[in-house]
Amino acid sequence: MRKSLLVISALSLTVSMTCLADIQINGFASIKAGTSTGSDKTLYGYTDTIDFKNESLFAIQVRSDLGDKLSVTAQVMGRGSNDFDARFEWAFLTYELTESMRINAGRLRTPFYRYSDFMDVGFAYDWLRVPQGVYGLGFNNLEGLSLYHTAHLGEFDSTLQLLLGSYSGDISLAGNPASADIKNIAGVTWELERGWWSVRTAYLSGKVSIDAPALAPLFTGLTQAGLPGLVAALDFNDDQSEFIGLGITLDQGDWVLISEYNRINVKNSFFAKRENYYLSLGYRFDSITPFVSFEREDHRSKSAIYQPYTTVLPPQLLQPLIAVVESQSVDTKTWNLGLRYDFHPAAALKAQYSNEKNTLTDNRNDAFAVGVDIVF
Amino acid sequence: MNFRCISIMVASLALSASVLAESLAIVVHPANATDLTTEDVSRLYLGRARTFPNGESAVPINLAEGMLARESFDQRALSRSSAQLKAYWSKLVFTGKGTPPQEVDSHEEVLKLVATNPSIIGYVPASAADERVRIAIQLD
Repeated sequence: MRKSLLVISALSLTVSMTCLADIQINGFASIKAGTSTGSDKTLYGYTDTIDFKNESLFAIQVRSDLGDKLSVTAQVMGRGSNDFDARFEWAFLTYELTESMRINAGRLRTPFYRYSDFMDVGFAYDWLRVPQGVYGLGFNNLEGLSLYHTAHLGEFDSTLQLLLGSYSGDISLAGNPASADIKNIAGVTWELERGWWSVRTAYLSGKVSIDAPALAPLFTGLTQAGLPGLVAALDFNDDQSEFIGLGITLDQGDWVLISEYNRINVKNSFFAKRENYYLSLGYRFDSITPFVSFEREDHRSKSAIYQPYTTVLPPQLLQPLIAVVESQSVDTKTWNLGLRYDFHPAAALKAQYSNEKNTLTDNRNDAFAVGVDIVF
Repeated sequence: MNFRCISIMVASLALSASVLAESLAIVVHPANATDLTTEDVSRLYLGRARTFPNGESAVPINLAEGMLARESFDQRALSRSSAQLKAYWSKLVFTGKGTPPQEVDSHEEVLKLVATNPSIIGYVPASAADERVRIAIQLD
Protein backbone atom coordinates (compact mmCIF):
# COMPACT_ATOMS: atom_id res chain seq x y z
CA MET A 1 0.00 0.00 0.00
CA ARG A 2 2.68 2.43 1.03
CA LYS A 3 4.74 1.34 -1.89
CA SER A 4 1.99 1.85 -4.45
CA LEU A 5 1.34 5.35 -3.13
CA LEU A 6 4.98 6.07 -3.43
CA VAL A 7 5.15 4.84 -6.98
CA ILE A 8 2.18 7.00 -7.83
CA SER A 9 3.78 10.07 -6.30
CA ALA A 10 7.03 9.30 -8.05
CA LEU A 11 5.17 9.02 -11.34
CA SER A 12 3.26 12.21 -10.84
CA LEU A 13 6.53 14.08 -10.49
CA THR A 14 7.70 13.01 -13.89
CA VAL A 15 4.39 12.85 -15.72
CA SER A 16 2.39 15.65 -14.03
CA MET A 17 -0.78 13.77 -13.24
CA THR A 18 -3.38 15.95 -11.65
CA CYS A 19 -6.47 13.77 -11.76
CA LEU A 20 -5.66 11.79 -8.61
CA ALA A 21 -7.29 12.89 -5.38
CA ASP A 22 -4.80 11.79 -2.78
CA ILE A 23 -6.50 11.46 0.63
CA GLN A 24 -4.69 11.28 3.94
CA ILE A 25 -6.43 10.39 7.13
CA ASN A 26 -4.79 11.02 10.47
CA GLY A 27 -6.17 11.05 13.93
CA PHE A 28 -5.35 11.70 17.53
CA ALA A 29 -6.93 10.88 20.82
CA SER A 30 -6.44 11.55 24.49
CA ILE A 31 -7.91 9.49 27.28
CA LYS A 32 -7.46 11.25 30.59
CA ALA A 33 -8.66 10.65 34.08
CA GLY A 34 -8.30 13.09 36.91
CA THR A 35 -9.47 14.26 40.29
CA SER A 36 -8.86 17.01 42.80
CA THR A 37 -7.62 16.08 46.26
CA GLY A 38 -10.48 17.44 48.34
CA SER A 39 -14.20 18.15 48.28
CA ASP A 40 -13.53 21.88 48.58
CA LYS A 41 -11.16 21.88 45.62
CA THR A 42 -11.86 22.07 41.89
CA LEU A 43 -9.44 22.73 39.07
CA TYR A 44 -9.58 22.40 35.27
CA GLY A 45 -13.06 20.90 35.54
CA TYR A 46 -12.10 18.19 38.05
CA THR A 47 -13.75 17.65 41.42
CA ASP A 48 -12.91 15.07 44.06
CA THR A 49 -14.56 12.25 42.12
CA ILE A 50 -12.52 10.61 39.40
CA ASP A 51 -13.59 11.84 35.98
CA PHE A 52 -12.65 10.15 32.70
CA LYS A 53 -14.50 12.49 30.42
CA ASN A 54 -13.47 16.03 31.25
CA GLU A 55 -10.25 16.18 29.22
CA SER A 56 -10.63 13.18 26.91
CA LEU A 57 -11.04 13.75 23.20
CA PHE A 58 -10.99 12.06 19.80
CA ALA A 59 -10.24 13.67 16.48
CA ILE A 60 -9.96 12.66 12.86
CA GLN A 61 -8.31 14.80 10.28
CA VAL A 62 -8.80 14.33 6.58
CA ARG A 63 -6.68 16.08 4.02
CA SER A 64 -7.39 15.74 0.36
CA ASP A 65 -4.93 16.92 -2.22
CA LEU A 66 -6.93 18.15 -5.17
CA GLY A 67 -3.88 18.67 -7.33
CA ASP A 68 -2.69 21.92 -8.86
CA LYS A 69 -1.52 23.15 -5.44
CA LEU A 70 -4.99 23.03 -3.91
CA SER A 71 -5.88 20.92 -0.89
CA VAL A 72 -8.69 20.68 1.65
CA THR A 73 -8.18 19.88 5.33
CA ALA A 74 -10.92 19.17 7.83
CA GLN A 75 -10.63 18.16 11.45
CA VAL A 76 -13.57 16.72 13.33
CA MET A 77 -13.24 16.50 17.08
CA GLY A 78 -15.35 15.12 19.89
CA ARG A 79 -14.53 16.39 23.36
CA GLY A 80 -15.52 14.48 26.46
CA SER A 81 -16.45 17.76 28.14
CA ASN A 82 -19.03 18.15 25.38
CA ASP A 83 -20.27 14.52 25.54
CA PHE A 84 -18.04 13.62 22.57
CA ASP A 85 -20.34 15.46 20.18
CA ALA A 86 -18.31 15.61 17.02
CA ARG A 87 -17.74 19.10 15.62
CA PHE A 88 -15.67 20.61 12.88
CA GLU A 89 -12.79 22.06 14.80
CA TRP A 90 -11.43 23.43 11.61
CA ALA A 91 -11.97 23.10 7.89
CA PHE A 92 -9.99 25.01 5.34
CA LEU A 93 -8.72 25.20 1.81
CA THR A 94 -5.02 25.54 1.22
CA TYR A 95 -3.58 27.02 -1.91
CA GLU A 96 0.17 26.99 -2.42
CA LEU A 97 1.10 30.25 -4.05
CA THR A 98 4.75 29.31 -4.15
CA GLU A 99 6.94 26.75 -2.44
CA SER A 100 7.31 29.02 0.53
CA MET A 101 3.92 30.75 0.56
CA ARG A 102 0.48 29.33 1.30
CA ILE A 103 -2.98 30.72 1.81
CA ASN A 104 -5.47 28.96 4.09
CA ALA A 105 -9.12 29.97 3.96
CA GLY A 106 -11.96 28.73 6.13
CA ARG A 107 -12.26 27.89 9.79
CA LEU A 108 -8.79 28.19 11.27
CA ARG A 109 -7.11 27.98 14.63
CA THR A 110 -6.39 31.48 15.95
CA PRO A 111 -2.61 31.61 16.39
CA PHE A 112 -2.51 33.26 19.82
CA TYR A 113 0.04 30.92 21.34
CA ARG A 114 3.06 28.85 20.51
CA TYR A 115 0.99 25.67 20.75
CA SER A 116 -2.31 27.03 19.42
CA ASP A 117 -2.24 24.97 16.25
CA PHE A 118 -1.83 21.68 18.06
CA MET A 119 -2.98 22.40 21.60
CA ASP A 120 -5.37 19.44 21.42
CA VAL A 121 -2.70 17.06 20.12
CA GLY A 122 -1.28 16.05 23.46
CA PHE A 123 1.26 13.79 21.79
CA ALA A 124 3.00 16.88 20.39
CA TYR A 125 4.08 18.19 23.81
CA ASP A 126 5.24 16.89 27.17
CA TRP A 127 2.59 18.38 29.46
CA LEU A 128 -0.69 16.66 30.15
CA ARG A 129 -2.41 19.89 29.07
CA VAL A 130 -1.22 23.22 27.72
CA PRO A 131 -0.71 25.75 30.56
CA GLN A 132 -4.25 26.91 31.31
CA GLY A 133 -3.16 30.16 32.89
CA VAL A 134 -1.84 31.32 29.54
CA TYR A 135 -4.05 29.35 27.14
CA GLY A 136 -7.33 30.14 28.88
CA LEU A 137 -8.72 32.95 26.75
CA GLY A 138 -11.80 30.88 25.96
CA PHE A 139 -11.97 30.91 22.19
CA ASN A 140 -9.55 29.25 19.83
CA ASN A 141 -10.86 29.37 16.28
CA LEU A 142 -11.92 31.96 13.75
CA GLU A 143 -13.27 32.14 10.25
CA GLY A 144 -10.99 33.83 7.81
CA LEU A 145 -7.83 33.83 5.81
CA SER A 146 -4.27 33.18 6.73
CA LEU A 147 -1.10 33.61 4.74
CA TYR A 148 1.98 31.59 5.67
CA HIS A 149 5.40 32.45 4.51
CA THR A 150 8.44 30.39 5.34
CA ALA A 151 11.97 31.48 4.61
CA HIS A 152 15.51 30.47 5.37
CA LEU A 153 17.28 33.62 6.57
CA GLY A 154 20.94 32.80 6.96
CA GLU A 155 21.03 30.39 9.90
CA PHE A 156 17.41 31.05 10.81
CA ASP A 157 14.16 29.45 9.75
CA SER A 158 11.49 32.08 9.68
CA THR A 159 7.74 31.49 9.64
CA LEU A 160 5.53 34.50 9.17
CA GLN A 161 1.76 34.27 9.40
CA LEU A 162 -0.67 37.03 8.51
CA LEU A 163 -4.27 36.64 9.47
CA LEU A 164 -7.66 38.22 8.76
CA GLY A 165 -10.99 37.02 10.05
CA SER A 166 -13.83 37.14 12.49
CA TYR A 167 -15.23 35.10 15.34
CA SER A 168 -18.69 34.58 16.70
CA GLY A 169 -19.63 32.19 19.43
CA ASP A 170 -20.87 31.63 22.95
CA ILE A 171 -18.61 32.54 25.82
CA SER A 172 -18.85 33.17 29.54
CA LEU A 173 -18.66 36.76 30.78
CA ALA A 174 -18.51 37.62 34.48
CA GLY A 175 -19.97 34.16 35.09
CA ASN A 176 -22.88 34.70 32.71
CA PRO A 177 -23.53 33.11 29.33
CA ALA A 178 -22.98 35.59 26.54
CA SER A 179 -22.64 35.73 22.81
CA ALA A 180 -19.50 37.29 21.43
CA ASP A 181 -18.65 38.76 18.07
CA ILE A 182 -15.15 39.77 17.16
CA LYS A 183 -14.88 41.57 13.88
CA ASN A 184 -11.91 42.80 11.88
CA ILE A 185 -9.50 40.39 13.46
CA ALA A 186 -6.08 41.11 12.06
CA GLY A 187 -2.92 39.49 13.25
CA VAL A 188 0.66 38.72 12.58
CA THR A 189 2.84 36.04 14.11
CA TRP A 190 6.50 35.52 13.47
CA GLU A 191 8.64 32.62 14.55
CA LEU A 192 12.38 32.38 14.20
CA GLU A 193 14.10 29.08 14.76
CA ARG A 194 17.73 28.25 14.85
CA GLY A 195 19.15 24.96 16.01
CA TRP A 196 18.05 24.44 19.58
CA TRP A 197 16.01 27.55 20.13
CA SER A 198 13.09 29.43 18.73
CA VAL A 199 11.46 32.77 19.44
CA ARG A 200 7.88 33.65 18.61
CA THR A 201 5.94 36.88 18.67
CA ALA A 202 2.25 37.41 18.03
CA TYR A 203 0.12 40.48 17.72
CA LEU A 204 -3.63 40.32 17.11
CA SER A 205 -6.33 42.93 17.26
CA GLY A 206 -10.08 42.96 16.69
CA LYS A 207 -13.33 44.75 17.46
CA VAL A 208 -15.17 43.01 20.27
CA SER A 209 -18.91 43.05 20.91
CA ILE A 210 -20.41 40.92 23.66
CA ASP A 211 -24.04 40.58 24.53
CA ALA A 212 -24.69 39.20 28.01
CA PRO A 213 -28.44 39.26 28.82
CA ALA A 214 -27.71 39.01 32.54
CA LEU A 215 -25.95 42.37 32.46
CA ALA A 216 -28.72 44.19 30.59
CA PRO A 217 -30.61 45.32 33.75
CA LEU A 218 -27.48 46.97 35.12
CA PHE A 219 -26.73 48.78 31.87
CA THR A 220 -30.35 49.87 31.52
CA GLY A 221 -30.35 51.14 35.10
CA LEU A 222 -27.18 53.16 34.55
CA THR A 223 -28.52 54.64 31.32
CA GLN A 224 -31.75 55.64 33.07
CA ALA A 225 -29.66 57.23 35.82
CA GLY A 226 -28.25 59.50 33.10
CA LEU A 227 -24.88 57.79 32.79
CA PRO A 228 -24.63 56.52 29.20
CA GLY A 229 -20.90 57.39 29.29
CA LEU A 230 -20.39 54.94 32.13
CA VAL A 231 -22.25 52.25 30.19
CA ALA A 232 -20.00 52.88 27.19
CA ALA A 233 -16.92 52.48 29.39
CA LEU A 234 -18.25 49.16 30.66
CA ASP A 235 -19.88 47.33 27.80
CA PHE A 236 -18.35 45.55 24.84
CA ASN A 237 -19.65 47.45 21.87
CA ASP A 238 -17.30 47.25 18.92
CA ASP A 239 -14.41 47.88 21.30
CA GLN A 240 -10.82 47.64 20.17
CA SER A 241 -8.94 44.65 21.59
CA GLU A 242 -5.31 43.77 21.52
CA PHE A 243 -3.32 40.60 22.13
CA ILE A 244 0.45 40.55 22.43
CA GLY A 245 2.27 37.27 22.84
CA LEU A 246 5.92 36.31 23.23
CA GLY A 247 7.35 32.84 23.40
CA ILE A 248 10.73 31.20 23.65
CA THR A 249 11.74 27.56 23.40
CA LEU A 250 15.17 26.14 24.16
CA ASP A 251 15.41 22.46 23.31
CA GLN A 252 18.97 21.31 23.60
CA GLY A 253 18.09 17.61 23.30
CA ASP A 254 18.07 16.71 26.99
CA TRP A 255 16.86 19.93 28.59
CA VAL A 256 13.70 21.59 27.30
CA LEU A 257 12.81 25.09 28.46
CA ILE A 258 9.61 26.71 27.26
CA SER A 259 8.16 30.05 28.24
CA GLU A 260 5.32 32.20 26.98
CA TYR A 261 4.00 35.56 28.01
CA ASN A 262 0.90 37.37 26.88
CA ARG A 263 -0.91 40.58 27.48
CA ILE A 264 -4.55 41.20 26.59
CA ASN A 265 -6.75 44.26 26.73
CA VAL A 266 -10.16 45.31 25.45
CA LYS A 267 -10.46 49.09 25.56
CA ASN A 268 -13.62 50.84 26.83
CA SER A 269 -14.89 47.71 28.55
CA PHE A 270 -14.74 46.14 32.00
CA PHE A 271 -12.41 43.43 30.66
CA ALA A 272 -9.43 43.38 33.03
CA LYS A 273 -5.94 44.10 31.77
CA ARG A 274 -4.50 40.62 31.62
CA GLU A 275 -0.92 39.50 31.89
CA ASN A 276 -0.11 35.81 31.92
CA TYR A 277 3.02 33.77 31.66
CA TYR A 278 4.47 30.36 32.29
CA LEU A 279 7.90 28.87 32.49
CA SER A 280 8.42 25.15 32.01
CA LEU A 281 11.56 23.08 32.39
CA GLY A 282 11.88 19.43 31.45
CA TYR A 283 14.63 16.88 31.11
CA ARG A 284 14.59 13.89 28.77
CA PHE A 285 15.86 10.67 30.30
CA ASP A 286 15.58 8.68 27.10
CA SER A 287 11.86 7.84 26.95
CA ILE A 288 10.88 9.56 30.20
CA THR A 289 10.58 13.33 30.43
CA PRO A 290 9.79 14.78 33.86
CA PHE A 291 8.98 18.48 33.96
CA VAL A 292 8.12 21.25 36.34
CA SER A 293 6.33 24.43 35.37
CA PHE A 294 5.08 27.62 36.93
CA GLU A 295 2.15 29.70 35.70
CA ARG A 296 1.07 33.15 36.68
CA GLU A 297 -2.21 34.90 35.87
CA ASP A 298 -2.49 38.55 36.75
CA HIS A 299 -5.74 40.18 35.64
CA ARG A 300 -6.12 43.72 36.98
CA SER A 301 -9.72 44.82 37.16
CA LYS A 302 -10.45 48.32 35.90
CA SER A 303 -11.65 49.75 39.21
CA ALA A 304 -11.09 53.26 37.85
CA ILE A 305 -14.29 52.83 35.83
CA TYR A 306 -16.55 52.95 38.88
CA GLN A 307 -14.45 54.92 41.37
CA PRO A 308 -15.77 58.40 40.35
CA TYR A 309 -19.33 57.13 40.94
CA THR A 310 -19.05 55.51 44.38
CA THR A 311 -20.59 58.48 46.15
CA VAL A 312 -23.11 59.29 43.42
CA LEU A 313 -24.83 56.02 42.64
CA PRO A 314 -27.57 54.37 44.71
CA PRO A 315 -26.45 51.04 46.23
CA GLN A 316 -28.77 48.98 44.01
CA LEU A 317 -26.72 50.16 41.03
CA LEU A 318 -23.33 50.61 42.69
CA GLN A 319 -23.11 47.12 44.16
CA PRO A 320 -23.72 45.17 40.94
CA LEU A 321 -21.49 47.63 39.10
CA ILE A 322 -18.57 46.96 41.45
CA ALA A 323 -19.30 43.23 41.41
CA VAL A 324 -19.18 43.06 37.62
CA VAL A 325 -15.94 45.03 37.30
CA GLU A 326 -14.21 43.18 40.13
CA SER A 327 -15.34 39.78 38.83
CA GLN A 328 -12.60 40.18 36.23
CA SER A 329 -9.85 40.30 38.79
CA VAL A 330 -7.61 37.23 38.86
CA ASP A 331 -4.36 36.67 40.69
CA THR A 332 -3.14 33.08 40.67
CA LYS A 333 0.10 31.17 40.81
CA THR A 334 0.18 27.57 39.71
CA TRP A 335 2.86 24.90 40.06
CA ASN A 336 2.75 21.82 37.88
CA LEU A 337 4.79 18.68 38.26
CA GLY A 338 4.52 15.86 35.80
CA LEU A 339 6.06 13.48 33.36
CA ARG A 340 5.72 12.05 29.91
CA TYR A 341 6.62 8.45 29.18
CA ASP A 342 6.98 7.39 25.54
CA PHE A 343 6.02 3.77 26.02
CA HIS A 344 5.04 3.24 22.38
CA PRO A 345 6.08 4.91 19.09
CA ALA A 346 2.61 6.45 18.70
CA ALA A 347 1.49 6.84 22.28
CA ALA A 348 2.67 8.68 25.37
CA LEU A 349 1.62 8.17 28.96
CA LYS A 350 1.34 11.33 31.02
CA ALA A 351 0.82 12.20 34.63
CA GLN A 352 0.56 15.69 36.07
CA TYR A 353 -0.22 17.31 39.39
CA SER A 354 -1.24 20.97 39.37
CA ASN A 355 -1.63 23.20 42.40
CA GLU A 356 -3.10 26.66 41.97
CA LYS A 357 -2.94 29.35 44.61
CA ASN A 358 -5.53 32.08 44.34
CA THR A 359 -4.05 35.11 46.06
CA LEU A 360 -7.31 37.08 46.06
CA THR A 361 -9.27 34.46 47.99
CA ASP A 362 -6.28 32.80 49.63
CA ASN A 363 -7.59 29.48 48.35
CA ARG A 364 -5.72 26.55 46.93
CA ASN A 365 -7.11 24.26 44.25
CA ASP A 366 -5.48 21.25 42.74
CA ALA A 367 -5.87 18.44 40.24
CA PHE A 368 -4.07 15.22 39.55
CA ALA A 369 -4.55 13.56 36.18
CA VAL A 370 -3.09 10.69 34.21
CA GLY A 371 -3.71 9.93 30.59
CA VAL A 372 -2.58 8.56 27.29
CA ASP A 373 -2.09 10.65 24.15
CA ILE A 374 -2.16 8.80 20.86
CA VAL A 375 -1.64 9.73 17.24
CA PHE A 376 -2.74 7.47 14.40
CA MET B 1 1.27 -5.94 8.96
CA ASN B 2 2.13 -7.52 12.29
CA PHE B 3 4.11 -10.23 10.63
CA ARG B 4 6.04 -7.70 8.65
CA CYS B 5 6.85 -5.72 11.76
CA ILE B 6 8.00 -8.83 13.56
CA SER B 7 10.22 -9.88 10.69
CA ILE B 8 11.73 -6.40 10.57
CA MET B 9 12.38 -6.52 14.27
CA VAL B 10 14.01 -9.93 14.05
CA ALA B 11 16.11 -8.83 11.10
CA SER B 12 17.18 -5.64 12.81
CA LEU B 13 18.08 -7.45 16.01
CA ALA B 14 20.32 -9.78 14.04
CA LEU B 15 21.97 -6.86 12.29
CA SER B 16 22.20 -4.58 15.30
CA ALA B 17 25.92 -4.83 15.99
CA SER B 18 27.07 -4.15 12.45
CA VAL B 19 24.56 -1.53 11.28
CA LEU B 20 24.76 0.86 14.20
CA ALA B 21 28.49 1.24 13.90
CA GLU B 22 28.43 1.62 10.14
CA SER B 23 28.23 4.88 8.19
CA LEU B 24 25.07 5.84 6.36
CA ALA B 25 25.09 6.69 2.68
CA ILE B 26 22.66 9.39 1.59
CA VAL B 27 21.79 8.29 -1.92
CA VAL B 28 20.34 10.01 -4.98
CA HIS B 29 19.83 9.11 -8.64
CA PRO B 30 23.12 8.86 -10.61
CA ALA B 31 21.94 11.72 -12.84
CA ASN B 32 21.51 13.94 -9.79
CA ALA B 33 24.89 15.65 -9.40
CA THR B 34 24.00 17.70 -6.34
CA ASP B 35 26.26 17.56 -3.29
CA LEU B 36 24.63 17.80 0.09
CA THR B 37 25.63 18.80 3.57
CA THR B 38 24.20 17.16 6.69
CA GLU B 39 22.22 20.37 7.17
CA ASP B 40 20.66 20.04 3.67
CA VAL B 41 19.70 16.45 4.42
CA SER B 42 18.21 17.44 7.76
CA ARG B 43 16.16 20.24 6.17
CA LEU B 44 14.77 17.89 3.53
CA TYR B 45 13.81 15.20 6.04
CA LEU B 46 12.23 17.70 8.43
CA GLY B 47 10.13 19.19 5.63
CA ARG B 48 11.88 22.55 5.88
CA ALA B 49 13.17 22.38 2.32
CA ARG B 50 11.49 20.77 -0.63
CA THR B 51 14.19 21.24 -3.21
CA PHE B 52 17.83 20.26 -3.56
CA PRO B 53 20.29 23.16 -3.20
CA ASN B 54 20.30 23.42 -7.02
CA GLY B 55 16.57 24.15 -7.01
CA GLU B 56 15.37 20.79 -8.36
CA SER B 57 12.47 19.27 -6.46
CA ALA B 58 13.35 16.68 -3.84
CA VAL B 59 11.30 13.80 -2.43
CA PRO B 60 12.82 12.20 0.67
CA ILE B 61 12.18 8.51 1.37
CA ASN B 62 12.47 7.20 4.90
CA LEU B 63 13.07 3.75 6.27
CA ALA B 64 10.33 2.35 8.48
CA GLU B 65 10.33 3.12 12.17
CA GLY B 66 12.14 0.52 14.23
CA MET B 67 14.77 -0.26 11.57
CA LEU B 68 18.28 0.30 12.86
CA ALA B 69 19.45 2.43 9.94
CA ARG B 70 16.42 4.65 10.60
CA GLU B 71 17.31 5.09 14.24
CA SER B 72 20.88 5.83 13.29
CA PHE B 73 19.72 8.33 10.64
CA ASP B 74 17.39 10.10 13.10
CA GLN B 75 20.30 10.52 15.49
CA ARG B 76 23.07 11.38 13.04
CA ALA B 77 21.28 13.48 10.44
CA LEU B 78 18.40 14.93 12.43
CA SER B 79 19.89 14.86 15.96
CA ARG B 80 16.58 13.76 17.41
CA SER B 81 15.17 10.61 18.93
CA SER B 82 12.42 8.78 17.07
CA ALA B 83 9.89 9.84 19.70
CA GLN B 84 10.89 13.50 19.32
CA LEU B 85 10.49 13.23 15.57
CA LYS B 86 7.10 11.65 15.92
CA ALA B 87 6.03 14.57 18.10
CA TYR B 88 7.59 17.00 15.61
CA TRP B 89 5.62 15.54 12.72
CA SER B 90 2.38 15.36 14.63
CA LYS B 91 2.65 19.15 14.99
CA LEU B 92 2.93 19.60 11.24
CA VAL B 93 0.45 16.94 10.20
CA PHE B 94 -2.36 18.18 12.42
CA THR B 95 -1.93 21.75 11.30
CA GLY B 96 -1.93 20.83 7.63
CA LYS B 97 1.61 22.20 7.33
CA GLY B 98 3.36 19.10 6.19
CA THR B 99 3.49 15.34 5.91
CA PRO B 100 6.39 13.14 6.96
CA PRO B 101 8.46 11.43 4.26
CA GLN B 102 7.04 8.20 2.86
CA GLU B 103 8.44 5.11 4.53
CA VAL B 104 9.60 1.88 2.97
CA ASP B 105 10.47 -1.39 4.66
CA SER B 106 13.81 -2.36 3.13
CA HIS B 107 17.12 -0.97 1.95
CA GLU B 108 16.48 -2.58 -1.44
CA GLU B 109 13.25 -0.62 -1.84
CA VAL B 110 15.09 2.63 -1.14
CA LEU B 111 17.68 1.79 -3.78
CA LYS B 112 15.04 0.82 -6.33
CA LEU B 113 13.05 3.99 -5.86
CA VAL B 114 16.09 6.24 -5.92
CA ALA B 115 17.30 4.52 -9.09
CA THR B 116 14.01 5.26 -10.88
CA ASN B 117 13.63 8.94 -10.14
CA PRO B 118 16.14 11.83 -10.02
CA SER B 119 13.96 13.65 -7.47
CA ILE B 120 14.08 10.93 -4.85
CA ILE B 121 16.59 10.93 -2.02
CA GLY B 122 17.08 8.10 0.42
CA TYR B 123 19.62 6.55 2.76
CA VAL B 124 20.99 3.07 3.37
CA PRO B 125 23.90 1.64 5.35
CA ALA B 126 27.03 2.48 3.32
CA SER B 127 27.74 -1.16 2.52
CA ALA B 128 24.29 -1.55 0.93
CA ALA B 129 24.75 1.28 -1.60
CA ASP B 130 25.50 0.02 -5.11
CA GLU B 131 26.02 1.32 -8.67
CA ARG B 132 22.32 2.08 -9.20
CA VAL B 133 22.63 5.16 -6.99
CA ARG B 134 25.04 7.99 -6.26
CA ILE B 135 26.19 8.84 -2.74
CA ALA B 136 25.51 12.53 -2.11
CA ILE B 137 27.10 12.48 1.32
CA GLN B 138 28.19 9.84 3.76
CA LEU B 139 27.39 10.21 7.46
CA ASP B 140 29.97 8.55 9.66
